[in-house]
Amino acid sequence: MAKRFLILLCLMLMAPVFAAEVAEDPLERQTLAIAKDLRCAVCQSQPVSESNSDLARDMRAIIREQLEAGKSREEIVEYFVSRYGNYVLMKPPYDETGTLLWLAPVLLLAAMAIGGWLFLRNRKNVELPPVAALSEEDRARIKSAEQAARNEDEAEK
Amino acid sequence: MLSDSISLNLVELGHFAAHLAMIMALIQGLAPILARWLDEPRLASLSVSASVLVFVLTTIGGATLIHAFVTSNFSVEYVAQHSNTLLPIFYKVTALWGAHEGSLYLWAWILTLYTFIVTLRGRTRYPEHLPTILAVQGWLVVGFFGLILFLSSPFERLLPMFPQEGRDLNPILQDPGMVIHPPMLYLGYVGFSVPFAFAITALLTRWKSELWIGLTRRWALIAWGFLTVGIVLGGWWAYYELGWGGYWAWDPVENASFMPWLLGTALIHSITVQERRQMLHAWNIFLVISAFALSLLGTFLVRSGVLSSVHAFSVDPGRGLYILSFMVVVLSISFGIFMKQGRYQQARESINSMLSRESLFVWNNVLFTVACATVMLGTLYPLALDALTGSKITVAAPYFNAVVVPLFLLLLFLMGIATQVPWRKARLEKLRSRLLWPAVVGLLAGVAMAIAYWPVHWTGPVGIALVAFVATTIFTDYGRALKQRRAQLSESLARAAAKTILGNRRHYGGMIVHLGILVMAIGFVGSGLFRSEMTVAMKPGDVVQVGGERLRFDGIDAFPRANYQTVEGKFTLLNSGRVVRPERRKYPIQEAPTTEAGIDSTILRDAYVVLAEAAGDHWAVHVYVNPLVSFIWNGGIVILIGLFLTLSTRRKALTQKLPATEASEV
Repeated sequence: MAKRFLILLCLMLMAPVFAAEVAEDPLERQTLAIAKDLRCAVCQSQPVSESNSDLARDMRAIIREQLEAGKSREEIVEYFVSRYGNYVLMKPPYDETGTLLWLAPVLLLAAMAIGGWLFLRNRKNVELPPVAALSEEDRARIKSAEQAARNEDEAEK
Repeated sequence: MLSDSISLNLVELGHFAAHLAMIMALIQGLAPILARWLDEPRLASLSVSASVLVFVLTTIGGATLIHAFVTSNFSVEYVAQHSNTLLPIFYKVTALWGAHEGSLYLWAWILTLYTFIVTLRGRTRYPEHLPTILAVQGWLVVGFFGLILFLSSPFERLLPMFPQEGRDLNPILQDPGMVIHPPMLYLGYVGFSVPFAFAITALLTRWKSELWIGLTRRWALIAWGFLTVGIVLGGWWAYYELGWGGYWAWDPVENASFMPWLLGTALIHSITVQERRQMLHAWNIFLVISAFALSLLGTFLVRSGVLSSVHAFSVDPGRGLYILSFMVVVLSISFGIFMKQGRYQQARESINSMLSRESLFVWNNVLFTVACATVMLGTLYPLALDALTGSKITVAAPYFNAVVVPLFLLLLFLMGIATQVPWRKARLEKLRSRLLWPAVVGLLAGVAMAIAYWPVHWTGPVGIALVAFVATTIFTDYGRALKQRRAQLSESLARAAAKTILGNRRHYGGMIVHLGILVMAIGFVGSGLFRSEMTVAMKPGDVVQVGGERLRFDGIDAFPRANYQTVEGKFTLLNSGRVVRPERRKYPIQEAPTTEAGIDSTILRDAYVVLAEAAGDHWAVHVYVNPLVSFIWNGGIVILIGLFLTLSTRRKALTQKLPATEASEV
């Protein structure tokens, strides 16, 4: 009896040995790092690293191949850009197509900040137009409101 | 057979009701104009009655459509395309807003609902301006019904030969999150139509802003609240459903909802300036019109085919042209009136000091406006570039994150200071003493974080420092108020603590909303900067270590469910013993399978597993460990709590009825 239990125990303890601990292929990691900066050409703004489309899979395979062939990151990116244009870059380029995009927020912030500053400075302790006297209509309104409030007080008593 | 003929007729009744609704909305829009023209002021009140009818009729139309879905009436083309007899009944009902025609109808119905509520509240509170307000909304309803009835009708019939079985609802939409996300978002978008109507009315009638600004603030808060819920729900749903481990892709349609949110947030702050200091009248009206304009722009972007997006509805240039023309007309008229009359009310006060709460709110508005403009630029730039030069570029997450995140960090900083700066003029010594502790706490938190997690992107420590800074200002502010109250009244601590908050709901509601934003910010830092991910090939029994989690792949199971086939993987999280089950589902109408991520959520992190594809006896598996994602959704809940608290204020002065001077003249 005890022997049977012992054998069973040993078998159970051995089980984890058969299960493999898998780690990510370092090449896969490199592939994904480059894929992250490339846009899947048929998806909506998704990087190649995240998309499940066929094209994205193919692109990842190509990146992997080129990495295995020893190509550098720049060369691989250039490979795709020469085929798909700047469209395939996740980040807009700094050239003439993308300059406005990168500059505009800075310029806009500066412009609005200056505008805000000027507004605040110009409105500082400004001469204000005199407040108009109460119109007849307003007087009548106040009177009836007062009357209504008085009536309410009376009713509550 | 009897039930068949009833369902066949009922939809036509709904169709008729929708046409009637459009005619009624036309009357609603014309009534005050005719009243002016024909010098017959009593005509104006027609718009009040019309608005009620419009709502009832639109509801009838919607009800018949839902009935058609529930009874699987495939003689209705829209039902045939988006439903199926096997579809669970819950999704049959919600399929109504699953595609373009139906969701547009929902948009219009929500517009009539808001109009109806405005009618109910306005009859006693602002009766003399109500017809004009309703007229503005009436014209909006006319515009949308024009689109619905003539270009995108959900009432189209497939007669005489109609299919026995429908296609199906897009499987991505067969999900509770997807069901509630569009209505919430539309309640937000359309909600801005009410402040818009108020603003246009104010411009046309020179309505004194003190009388309507408080009302506008409540409506703006409600619209903003729904928009916030819609956006957070959208992110939550994208995270759970789309399987890429993220929640916000800066997709053009996501941006379309974000832009009005940004302006809406600016608005609810600057309205406060107008209420307290009688300034910024023209700017607020401009903001209101712009926020609504962006809501309309959002509608246009999604439905015109101009954008490709996972959200984009069916492409049809005719519809796009109509919506664009509608937008141009609405906006030219609105901004035109604004340019002519915008200065009808001069500020009654001036700025006393550059360091005051009102000036800080001006900076708040500057930052939100720049953020909104930047998002708009980034969204529209690729389209414009393509149209003008033919070259295509991608503007996506890297751009938006790089540009928007610094603005938000600045806003966080303002959030901490502005609550400590009084109106009119701040005294530097007092400000310094109030901000000293928060600054110290903030700095310590930031430095601690930087040291603990080095190397880390600079936005991490700066973000955490600012969060700690703002949180400390909020809590010390509350502590001071509590101390003051206890010094003046003898109460138990618990009672004093509660009464301090309940006695100033507007202020503390706002503080709680800010706290919610802080919680979300922590979530963004955690999930944005510290995500671990891995793609591995696994066979049953294999174990992988990702981030702080060890997962074991236990095997695959394949079986059918209600309206799809599923291949389900089982993964055990060895740290906790819990199990996640990612799936690949095959719906009959789809060619490619859809993936369902297997997610284990705890407060501190999400373990997120996606089955990619099989290769022999191995499966390619994506594993993500996302820290602090739960903070994002929980932060949204905190924001809601704060919003409820703010809105629960009863302002006696505004709810009192005006005496019957004007009402009797109508």
